[in-house]
Amino acid sequence: MKNMLIGIDVGGTYTDGVLFCEGSVLHSVKHPTDAGDLEGTLLFVLDALLTHAEAKDIQRIVLSTTLVTNLLATGRGERTALLLLPGSGLPFSAYRISPDTWFLKGGIDFRGRQIEATDARQIEEALRKIHDSGIERIAVAGKFSNRNDAHEKAVKELAKSRYPHMDVCISNEISGRLNFPRRAVTCYYTAMTIREWNRFADGIEAAIAARAPGVDVHILKADGGTTTLEASRTRPCETVFSGPAASTMGTLALSRESLNAVSVDIGGTTSDISLLIEGKPLYASKGALIGGHLTHIHSFAVRSIALGGDSRVYEESGKLKVGPTRLGPAACFGGEVPTVTDAFNLLSGLNLGDPKASRAKLEPVASGINESVEGLCRKVADHVIGTLDRNIEEMFGLWEDEPAYKVWEVVNRRKFELHQVIGIGAAAPAIVPMLADKMGVGHFLHRYSPVANALGAAVARPTLAVEVHVDTQRRFYTASPGGLSGTVDKRNYQLEDARELARHCLEELSRERGLSDYAGEAHVYLEEQFNVIRGWEQEGKLFDVGIQVAPGFIHEYKGVA
Amino acid sequence: MKPTGVIFFPAFDWAISPTHPEREERLLYTRDQLFEEGIMDMPEVREYHPRLATARDVSRVHFCVPDVESRVTEAHMVSAGCAMVMADAFAQKEVKNAFAIIRPPGHHAMTVVHGNRGFCDINNEAVMVEYLRRTYGIRRLAIVDTDVHHGDGSQEIFWHDPDVLFISFHQDGRTLYPGSGFTNELGGPLAYGTTINIPMAPKTTDEGIHYIMDNLVLPMLDEFKPELVINSAGQDNHYSDPLANMSFTAKGYAILNQKLKPDIAVLEGGYSIETALPYINMGIIMAMAGIDFSNLREPDYDPSRFKESAKNMDYIRSLVQQQLANFRGREKVVEANRKQDREFYGTSRSIFYDTDYLQEEQRLDLRMCPDCCGYRRISSSCAHRSGRNYSVYCICLPAACCPACAERALSDYEDMKKKAGYDHVYLQDRINDDYRTFETKTGQETVVED
Repeated sequence: MKNMLIGIDVGGTYTDGVLFCEGSVLHSVKHPTDAGDLEGTLLFVLDALLTHAEAKDIQRIVLSTTLVTNLLATGRGERTALLLLPGSGLPFSAYRISPDTWFLKGGIDFRGRQIEATDARQIEEALRKIHDSGIERIAVAGKFSNRNDAHEKAVKELAKSRYPHMDVCISNEISGRLNFPRRAVTCYYTAMTIREWNRFADGIEAAIAARAPGVDVHILKADGGTTTLEASRTRPCETVFSGPAASTMGTLALSRESLNAVSVDIGGTTSDISLLIEGKPLYASKGALIGGHLTHIHSFAVRSIALGGDSRVYEESGKLKVGPTRLGPAACFGGEVPTVTDAFNLLSGLNLGDPKASRAKLEPVASGINESVEGLCRKVADHVIGTLDRNIEEMFGLWEDEPAYKVWEVVNRRKFELHQVIGIGAAAPAIVPMLADKMGVGHFLHRYSPVANALGAAVARPTLAVEVHVDTQRRFYTASPGGLSGTVDKRNYQLEDARELARHCLEELSRERGLSDYAGEAHVYLEEQFNVIRGWEQEGKLFDVGIQVAPGFIHEYKGVA
Repeated sequence: MKPTGVIFFPAFDWAISPTHPEREERLLYTRDQLFEEGIMDMPEVREYHPRLATARDVSRVHFCVPDVESRVTEAHMVSAGCAMVMADAFAQKEVKNAFAIIRPPGHHAMTVVHGNRGFCDINNEAVMVEYLRRTYGIRRLAIVDTDVHHGDGSQEIFWHDPDVLFISFHQDGRTLYPGSGFTNELGGPLAYGTTINIPMAPKTTDEGIHYIMDNLVLPMLDEFKPELVINSAGQDNHYSDPLANMSFTAKGYAILNQKLKPDIAVLEGGYSIETALPYINMGIIMAMAGIDFSNLREPDYDPSRFKESAKNMDYIRSLVQQQLANFRGREKVVEANRKQDREFYGTSRSIFYDTDYLQEEQRLDLRMCPDCCGYRRISSSCAHRSGRNYSVYCICLPAACCPACAERALSDYEDMKKKAGYDHVYLQDRINDDYRTFETKTGQETVVED
């Protein structure tokens, strides 16, 4: 019976995997991550899980990996040329994205009208220089290409015809949202990582086919949803920050309540904080920040702070210091130096590992700052709880400070009222109850909390968001992602028609990406319509409609037993 | 370097009527342009979120008849609130300067509000000014109104206030709404010369406006030494504006703001929503944030298209001379007025509300105080659209008033409460930040709360 699910989350320090079946984690694996061989790490964990299941019973494997994140964060991506068509507006010096940037003629306005034509000779020359510098990856981005991508396509065609060996990505195919710099960055990162991602995908595909033929392989994205391995091949950037996404989905999978909650994932070196508003995870309103640039990648709003269970506790010039470094596990688990976990171990009588070792290692620090061990533990706890509390409050504030563009949004503005603190990660049981007390709310911990990330990956459902822009005066529509466009001819075109168009585009894309099972669960999340009035007469309408399959769980997931 | 604060509130769900120039679509293309440029992501810019102004914030400036809640739309309350958000960001030194790109506008709204005038319910800049004064102790300010229409509301509100230098340049009132703003409108007897109007001939270009900036506006600001400069930033001097006839460009607006260096700019009018606003708003943000705007231009921009005529330049030069003389002679005139030994100075007038088609009759009396700017008493009557006629009496006590004026104003309020003939008696006591309404029919007094 095909009822087994596998989720594997490759983290910075450890890789976690779970084998999940009908509400229970049958087996879990924790293995150190080899940053130089992610494929090997993944397969090691997969093989360990497969020893507890028949390959024919595996229904789906979901992977969350740091490959693209690492490539981009460490600046090890291959040299990639960026061709920009910014037209009028900000100075060209505002676009500090790629050291290999060429500016091209060509301008489009917000209605998709051409303001300035492209210059074929100028494009040819830029391409020749790019080729001469040995660059084989090109990203092309034009201002308002989401309203008319003719210029971007012209550049791509020319590049493909002259230099067929090059990878060429155009921004409107990656994202159709407003914000040209973010589109350019997202396109640039896509062009930069697409080859490496495909190489990785090839390897994984072959390895899994050899072990468990016919199994669906999905990749977890930054938005907490999955996509097929195949569909990820053209959009590698969506796989960034899938680790925090896995944790957040794990939190949701375990708590499943429509509360305002804060999820605190306390790992060894860092803690990740995310917010749930009425049970729905909060997204980064400006898109994921990668390498100092905002992108159009939809990702959770996660705040990472350099403070975890293994953060060392030490004394320096008579003053107590907590973290941010990690020198190994807690003393109670055989570590060399005392840590945050040791302090909570004594303070709350948690009886973790060997509490005597906690005390023995903390004593010298206590005497160094002229405190009793109990006093020291309380100080450490105050510092940890205070830091988490402060960061959580700041996140509430940022959420409340989001811009609003409609009267009702301002009139109906609410303050964030917290109901619960949800703890996940290995050190959460020690710290989260005290944090919740400080914040005056209840806490939630689950026996699966330590493997919530891999569990979250295992049961997350596919996601897909489509946005259409319709201009009935100019009789065209554009849809993203994918850079679709077409004409609208119907007289008396209404919002209903735009909604229908959006739904149709979503169904088409779902089919292409092998996600049709979930297309029926899409809902409209954005609806705008404007009358185009010229000289007191209505000449048309503009519509923007967004429809999405939001993050959630696969049909097979009915909660944990 | 601190960023420039920007608040963008397009009120996408509010219009005067579906085809009115002040409709949902007005800032749509500006939204598209600003968002597509990604200018809010730049380190030079920080975006803020809106809030609602309170009834008390509005009552610091206006007498809303019968009250704030029933007179002012929520959209206007958000718009004024946005201006206050920018005031806070600036006064708390979070930003080096701030720009509120908001609608609905405000500069035609006057002290007494019976309805909507020139698309405005309440005066965003004036609400912001009194909030700044109350909250941050700022006293002396300058407002430069760069809208193509005369800022008659702001002029009326600050007419008797010697600590606010109100400068408006606009298309000549003989050719455009609201038909005022002539050079002889120079302020009340105790605030003479701190209202300066600069009526310009239709078709005036960047060159003409910049001559006025360099030779009149900037020198006056220099001499007045305000603690804070506000740009009442209308955008309808643009050559493509459908409601006016000037020849200003987006780059012209950017350079104007580069010269003026406003601490806070607040969007007013501007109805060339597709051809001008997206570019002018970008230009103003860039100028205020110190971002190079040489690559910014309208799609149909042609630098050789507009040339200032010699005749118009002659007119502008004489206008500048005349107004500079009026400004520089102001203290002598005020001195002379004070010696007239009149207890009250009174005027009567009729005010038309174009949007709502109302006619208000008003009588104003200013106490000719020997020691301060004096307090004001206004009696006003107007038939509202509901058909009901309102007759009200308003007492305005500015924060800068002397104790004698304060005592007199408060006793006037108590006296008027006992008299018949007015539906409402209002007290605006800015010294104590105390705003009251007395309804004669019921004998009920309401204190305006936040």
